[in-house]
Amino acid sequence: MKSKRVGLIGAGTMGCGLAEAMAAKGFDIALVGRTPEDLQRAEAHLERVLTRRLQKWSLTEAEKKAILSRIRLTVDWGELKACGLVIEAIWERLPDKIAVHRQIEQVVGAEVPIASNTSTLSITEIAAQLQHPERLLGLHFHYPPDRRELVELVRGEQTSDETVATGRAFIESLEMTAVHVFESPGYVTTRLMLPLINEAIALLTEGVATAEDIDTAMEVGYGFHSGPLTLADRFGLDSVLKTMEALFSETGDPRYRPTPLLRQKVRMGQLGVKTGEGIFRYDEGGNRLS
Amino acid sequence: MNILVLNCGSSSLKYQLFAMPEEQVLIRGGVEKIGSEEAVHKYQAGEREEKTTSTILDHREALRQVLATLTAPEVGVLQDVREIDAVGHRVVHGGERFAVSTRIDAAVKAAIKEMFDLAPLHNPANLLGIEAMEDVLPEVPQAAVFDTAFHQTMPREHYLYPVPYVLYERHKVRRYGFHGTSHRYVASRVSDLLDRDLSRLNLISCHIGNGASLCAIEQGRSVDTSMGMTPLEGVMMGTRSGDIDPSLPEFVMEKEDLSPEDVSSMLNKHSGLYGVSGISGDMRQIDDARKKGSARAAVAFAMYEYRIRKYIGAYAAAMNGVDAILFTAGVGENSALLRQTICEKLTYLGVELDREANEAGTGERVISTPNSRVAVCVIPTDEELMIARDTFVLVQQPNIGKR
Repeated sequence: MKSKRVGLIGAGTMGCGLAEAMAAKGFDIALVGRTPEDLQRAEAHLERVLTRRLQKWSLTEAEKKAILSRIRLTVDWGELKACGLVIEAIWERLPDKIAVHRQIEQVVGAEVPIASNTSTLSITEIAAQLQHPERLLGLHFHYPPDRRELVELVRGEQTSDETVATGRAFIESLEMTAVHVFESPGYVTTRLMLPLINEAIALLTEGVATAEDIDTAMEVGYGFHSGPLTLADRFGLDSVLKTMEALFSETGDPRYRPTPLLRQKVRMGQLGVKTGEGIFRYDEGGNRLS
Repeated sequence: MNILVLNCGSSSLKYQLFAMPEEQVLIRGGVEKIGSEEAVHKYQAGEREEKTTSTILDHREALRQVLATLTAPEVGVLQDVREIDAVGHRVVHGGERFAVSTRIDAAVKAAIKEMFDLAPLHNPANLLGIEAMEDVLPEVPQAAVFDTAFHQTMPREHYLYPVPYVLYERHKVRRYGFHGTSHRYVASRVSDLLDRDLSRLNLISCHIGNGASLCAIEQGRSVDTSMGMTPLEGVMMGTRSGDIDPSLPEFVMEKEDLSPEDVSSMLNKHSGLYGVSGISGDMRQIDDARKKGSARAAVAFAMYEYRIRKYIGAYAAAMNGVDAILFTAGVGENSALLRQTICEKLTYLGVELDREANEAGTGERVISTPNSRVAVCVIPTDEELMIARDTFVLVQQPNIGKR
């Protein structure tokens, strides 16, 4: 990377999380949002998250200030010009991702690597629409990125060795761990985790165990930090459903068929933590109600 | 002979240029925020003081700027960089390998690297400084002066932890101690100040700055020190907890849902004077708040003093007596109140403080009465001078310090 400046497209929860994690490691961030309102929300979100970390002693006041001073919130794509790497972190919809990547290409030089933070979409398919497909790679970060130090480094059919090497060095400079994966729907983590969540919801439907016991079994028995149903509520059941559908349509394999209760919950608008109810129920602060 | 002394942090470097053996400081300065577009370089040479802000992306560039400053005609320190005869580096961790300062070669650099695990914040930055210097002045001999080296004389029963011995064998888990260069410097001043032979004295040196450690010194040799495997052990500090129950982290992690990194940050950056008072880790601010009636500042001060006094008692016991207590570093040199509060409850040792010398005097001095059975001294520390002296000796006698 020629510059310690990183461009991030998408000022949502993931974009903000990435901005924070990277700024904490000394990178200067241009965080590009769609509208001034998006930026205001992002700013408030960053302030809230960092204040919470300060209260939990993982940051000092000076470190919080330094992190915020390194994040520049903007709607101006011209800010990407001086960046040594651009990462797109918008929602998982192929046409939108392609449009954003085309727009990035118009601003940055041909030598600047571009990454997509996708968990299921095809890097090759996005790259096919670009002038320089060799500089596109996938960097699948996990949420929240300041605590989940795993990145799936995804290589599309046309991704160059140089791009992969730059991506790997960048992940190392964030003190995160990269696993190298070749393009395949869901890569490693999503392909293993989402069917497990789906199966946990099926177990619940069948009345085999209570939701609490299903999570306890995996937490205590297999050392999961959070059980699969808790994770489903945190990801959002709509995201879980979308991902399962994507895996199902991509592979045609019935083991990825979304379980009916998942579909039903999404139709009822019970999407998890963000709506106050999913598999479990939550208060306004997102704390689980017993 | 001109010797440049360097202390490199991850995004900063401090330097002083000495004329040796005169021990005259020609220039001192520092660069902060290396790696950014607003790096700040400050220096002071004689009457001249300057501060500039510019883009400095790495240590190499910072050193180039420092060398350009040394040779700038308007600064007037050197005509040419070739007038620098040697460079001395402060290196934090020398592990068990280095009991004395040493000339730097490939093997020494490899050893400093091996110690990254033990000092993850400091040794990488120190090595960065060494390598940057090699790039910029390849012909000039360099020496490393380790913070831990002075304490390598601690006997085994003092440096081992009472945990499974295999941890020492496998990972070198043991007490190392820090601030060694400072403790060694203040001890070296005692014979002049008291006109007594260092080899017949038991000393307790109290280096009390933002970080703080005490050192028990018998016949000029460190036999115990309060910091351990890391600088977190020992007395209470500005933002570090010092000694706590080892079960505390596990309990707090469980109750507050913290990761190991969070707990480490809590104990290193949110504890000590700052954590207890909720006000500041700076003794001057604690003192102000206490005078204005802050109960939390008062208890923080009382704890701080108590924990230092306990260590003094422990070291007097460890050495079977003490002849002199030395105060140094920011708080130790400047807080008359702290020294007084500590000494008032050391009368059982025979300490008798001269309150006027304690409060009114400045610089290096004895602050106990002539009748005091234990001398109490204030000795401003000078680690850079110690590094310059060691470097001077090493480059003059090229066989010393070569392994």
